[in-house]
Amino acid sequence: MLAGGAASLALGMPMPARARDTPIKIALITSLSGPFASLGESMRAGLSLYMEEIGHQMGGRPVKLLVEDDQGKPDEAVRKVRKLLSQDKADVLCGVISAAAALAIRDIVADAQALTFISNASANALAREAASPYIFRPTKTSWMLGHTSALWAYEHLAKQGGMTLASDYAAGREYIGDFKTTYTERGGQLDRQVWTPLGTSDFAPIIMNIAAANPAFVYAFLPGSDAVRFLQQMRDYQLHGKVRIMGPGALLDQEDVLPAAGDAGLGGLNTFHQSPDAPSSAAFAQAYKKSRNRLPGEASTSGYATGQVIKAGLDAVNGDVSRKADIKTRLLDGAVETAFGPMQFDPRNNQAVLDIYVNEVRANDDGVPLNTVIHTYKGIRDPGPSA
Amino acid sequence: MSYYLVQSLNALSFSVLLLLTGLGLALVLNLMNFINLAHGSFFLLGGYVAIQWLASGAPWWLAFPAAFLLTAVIGLVLDRLAFARFYARPHLMQVLLTYGLSVVFADLMRWGFSADTLSPALPAILRGGVWIAGLPFPSYRLFLIGIGLLLALTLWYALDKTLWGAALRACVIDRDIVETLGLNARKIFSAGMALAAGLAGLGGALGAGMLSAYPGLDEEVLILALLVVVTGGLDNFKGTVACAVLLGFVTTFSRVWWPEFANFITLAIMAGVLVAYPDGLVTRGGRKA
Amino acid sequence: MTSLSRSPGKHAPRAAASRALPLAALVVLALPGLLGDEFLLRFAAEVLLIGTAVMSLNLLIGSGGLVSLGHAAVFGVSAYTAAIVASQVDGNAVAIVLAGTMAGVAMAGLMALVSLRSSGLHFLVMTLVIGQMAWELAFRWRELTGGADGLRGFPKLALGDWYLDDALGLYALAALTALACWSLLRQTAAAPLGQALSGMRDQPLRMTALGYDLKRLRILAFILTGITTGAAGALYPFVNQYVGPNVVHWSMSAAFVIMAVLGSIRSLVGGYIGAALYLTIQTYLSSYTDRWQLIIGILFVTTVVFMPHGIVQKIRGGKTP
Repeated sequence: MLAGGAASLALGMPMPARARDTPIKIALITSLSGPFASLGESMRAGLSLYMEEIGHQMGGRPVKLLVEDDQGKPDEAVRKVRKLLSQDKADVLCGVISAAAALAIRDIVADAQALTFISNASANALAREAASPYIFRPTKTSWMLGHTSALWAYEHLAKQGGMTLASDYAAGREYIGDFKTTYTERGGQLDRQVWTPLGTSDFAPIIMNIAAANPAFVYAFLPGSDAVRFLQQMRDYQLHGKVRIMGPGALLDQEDVLPAAGDAGLGGLNTFHQSPDAPSSAAFAQAYKKSRNRLPGEASTSGYATGQVIKAGLDAVNGDVSRKADIKTRLLDGAVETAFGPMQFDPRNNQAVLDIYVNEVRANDDGVPLNTVIHTYKGIRDPGPSA
Repeated sequence: MSYYLVQSLNALSFSVLLLLTGLGLALVLNLMNFINLAHGSFFLLGGYVAIQWLASGAPWWLAFPAAFLLTAVIGLVLDRLAFARFYARPHLMQVLLTYGLSVVFADLMRWGFSADTLSPALPAILRGGVWIAGLPFPSYRLFLIGIGLLLALTLWYALDKTLWGAALRACVIDRDIVETLGLNARKIFSAGMALAAGLAGLGGALGAGMLSAYPGLDEEVLILALLVVVTGGLDNFKGTVACAVLLGFVTTFSRVWWPEFANFITLAIMAGVLVAYPDGLVTRGGRKA
Repeated sequence: MTSLSRSPGKHAPRAAASRALPLAALVVLALPGLLGDEFLLRFAAEVLLIGTAVMSLNLLIGSGGLVSLGHAAVFGVSAYTAAIVASQVDGNAVAIVLAGTMAGVAMAGLMALVSLRSSGLHFLVMTLVIGQMAWELAFRWRELTGGADGLRGFPKLALGDWYLDDALGLYALAALTALACWSLLRQTAAAPLGQALSGMRDQPLRMTALGYDLKRLRILAFILTGITTGAAGALYPFVNQYVGPNVVHWSMSAAFVIMAVLGSIRSLVGGYIGAALYLTIQTYLSSYTDRWQLIIGILFVTTVVFMPHGIVQKIRGGKTP
């Protein structure tokens, strides 16, 4: 059988019948515990929803979803990836919430030539020096968000007098750095740059400084619970509505931040590749709301979109996972319809080229704060390896 | 000038929050000589209870007593089932038992309340702000400062000045003598544990408005509480208060001036205090038991 | 088998057993080398390295209840040093291990000096604070440590022209290191220093009366710990060609403590058993259920309540001293 299988692969012939029934193993590496647990569960929910919709079939073969928890730790992600490749014999890897984990596993999957789809981590490096022929990224880079925020801020907020605030770690540095570069390139002038440690519980001292400085706007990046606390404390200190808040979408994520922050998030601006309001994700948003009783944020939409991309690739090769080059060709050739919109991949670095929405958080008809699209920057492409 | 006044108020509110996190732990350590590393779990549970209560529409001011009662009951149950045998055991064993329990509780809470960050729906009366010398200050923090100080005073009085507090301390030093006096040491310990757990839950309920509730908060709070109580001094309550104030002000003002290095500076100062005062910031003096 | 407090007069029957021990250990260590696939070998290498760190923690705990919540800082500092030095010495394994070990000793020494007057809970909090300061440095000093993203892309281990980056080579190196560290601590336990350390735990007052300087003893214990933990930490980044700030974080120290208790605080080998148990559950169980942390917690509590001196002691069937 092996010889027959090998022969048919070499000739590009369809797979033998027995092989067609063995399930394709798709492994999702996500954070089900640790600091990103809520994002990780959302991602799993999004992908699982997609799997159900397509009846667990891709390219005519059944699909088995393996889910592994990286606990938000890069070391654990590496261990799990090795296990998935070596023992579980996963055919396709996908997922990864944190940038640190994505970078940590990059060398291993590149060496193993394992087809990998990074669903959430936005580290710029993966689209530049750390890009690899077998790693696809069906989501944004930090640059795409920082850059578009700067464009919008310069045109519509103020050309000077703004300040930045971010959690002091890799993601924060990237977002702020990219924002600053584009903003100052256009001629804008930023005032202060404030950095705060990850996991700050009391923003009061910083908020006092903001109140005293009275900036034209604050471009902020804070993850998860930090974002919730910041927004609420801004409201506590009567600055809500007085100071314009803008950030990358994670600051005002529909699923991760807004439900807890509530009204404190109203009026916030963000640039994101995801919006529950966008026409391309309308169907998914409805289905997700039905299944989990909440509007989707980035993580769940990423999970869903990753599923769509993988299916497009596998359908093109009739489920023959070994034909990686053909899968690549399919993905690089034409756009894939996903919940993020039509997704084209850049052949230089397998990075998705995406529409970036400018969202404003407004109360919808039911009074629920909703990320509402007020503008779309079409076809934003990361500068890539030359940057 | 008013800027520093308000920042000092910020620092005070954070100090009170720290005090709240340390209350139950201080009780259980100072009086019962029992290290409860599940303290953070009680705190988080209190937060979740308050959030559910406030979301359900019941009278808001009952949320806090509700959190207190529920966590006190759980503390009582744990006392009966697990802790009782460990009161006399060496500290290491207590550390290990309660840490294991905290891991179990953390997972149970994540299972029950989900991994999402939850925030309490505070009543309108607590959500406004006041203006102090032209700068805004949230009513909620004033509420926190008020309640926190009240709790601290009540606790200090009850533990240091009443017979009950004395009985509790006596039980730790010499249980048998206390029993010859006709007091049921077992019940006293149970009551102490329940009170400590309840206080932790109350702290969590009060702090939820500032910290929110999410998996991982229990560990963060435990670290803070340990820092405050142990650095302050293990055999008296004044030390805890003093250390909470110190830590609150150091954290706040380092965030004002050097926000990037705030954590490192705070840790360095605490390390300095720990080295300089190996028996705690404030001690009763005399020989250590 | 060895325990940190061996009473005199029982030498003869134990001597034969203790001579056979290294041989048995060699056999046990050789097994994964023969049977395992690539993942298993790397996993086993990780278990051995972390087990060595836990064994060292056992030494500290056994020297007077010094439960350190900063032990991961010693391990992690050695790991980072090794990774950083690797680029300077082109992967020279000897230089790397040496550098990592020295870093471990330095960190351990620092902890010892700072916490000299502490004990019990105070010591716990002190080591926690120092450990977190180390974490802040690792997390923030981006130029040196790669910050939150950690370090990757450093050269692989090499001895001359011979690269040690394949799974079997790494495993062999880890096994050798584990064996060496275990022998070192085992010899120490039997030596006067080891006896003094157990004395420090059991009868501090009497030891002082006998003229021992407890502070000096404590520093020596820490330095010993630093050597073994440092050596293990130096190899750690090369198992996955990655090192991140998580390896310095207090949650890692807490995990070490759990592993120490699971195995047995009174036995050296317990460190490896505990590490194997914990890491196996963490890696394999989490694929089947979301509730794997609950299981570890329950296991831990059960151990503390019913087998307070760990699994190894239970297997030995001995009464706890």
